[in-house]
Amino acid sequence: MVKRLKKAGADIKIAFLLIALSIVIMLVCKLNFLSILTINKAIIFKIIYLTGFAIAISTAIHFLIPEDLAEKHLKDNKLIHLFYATLLGVLTPGPVYAIYPIVLELRRKGVGSAILVAYLTGQTIIGPARAPFEIGLFGWKFYLYRILLALMMGPLAGVLFIAFSKVWPDREIRNP
Amino acid sequence: MLKKIILYFHQKLWRTLFLVCAGVLFAVTLSSIINIESVNLLKQKVALPLQVIYAALIGFIAPGPRYILYPILIKLYEFGINLGVIVALISGHVLIEPSTVLVEAGFFGYRFPIKRFVVSFIVTFLAGMVSSVLGSYVW
Repeated sequence: MVKRLKKAGADIKIAFLLIALSIVIMLVCKLNFLSILTINKAIIFKIIYLTGFAIAISTAIHFLIPEDLAEKHLKDNKLIHLFYATLLGVLTPGPVYAIYPIVLELRRKGVGSAILVAYLTGQTIIGPARAPFEIGLFGWKFYLYRILLALMMGPLAGVLFIAFSKVWPDREIRNP
Repeated sequence: MLKKIILYFHQKLWRTLFLVCAGVLFAVTLSSIINIESVNLLKQKVALPLQVIYAALIGFIAPGPRYILYPILIKLYEFGINLGVIVALISGHVLIEPSTVLVEAGFFGYRFPIKRFVVSFIVTFLAGMVSSVLGSYVW
């Protein structure tokens, strides 16, 4: 069992950690497991079926958006490219770990760090898979507001990264 | 092609559902501790900019996948917490995690994640403060 857990991916290990933390909180705070489930059953069911929708959306995008789209449209640290990078990040589905290989490849091909920061900010802050959750739980207005906010936060993060890099430049990455 | 899509969906669904179920269990357990009195006390005793800063920092260190925060956010929303705090929590939770800091340091050198952390903190704080002003238009 321990050997199988060691071989499991990071997501499975995190899931077990979260289950263990939940048990600790229940024991420390003397909470009843069944009453927690009963009180929150509506939100639990809602999140489970919204997860199904979210996976369907990210599957569709995985097959519709070409893998080299980011590489084609991100060249240098201009503000418009920071905006494109954020927009592409917003459209890229999946967990952040899944996009690190793309980010590393972009870096090796000479894409600037500020562009990568804008891309990572857009990708993590909002995404198509979040739509069912945020629209379902908080409404359309909230989700649209979050998209607008993300499109401003990405370029701003890129600009701030450029400013910081003038004081403290990045280390050179050697190509393997 | 259809078989490929179904296979991809199937593989992703069960793996994600396991993680989401574990995350939701953690979130609903944690939200059981939150009550209206503690939220009211927080609103009275802590100034809004500081609430946004705390939310961003809690978001940064909070473990788990992106979706686990929603049950807690719903409870905070019901208790009337400011939109700025909710936006700072959502944004902070996903922008930087302790585990991604290590991954990024391995890929790009230690300077990259440190600078990204500082940048993310500033951006999250600004987004939280803007949202606290625009709250009544968004809800």
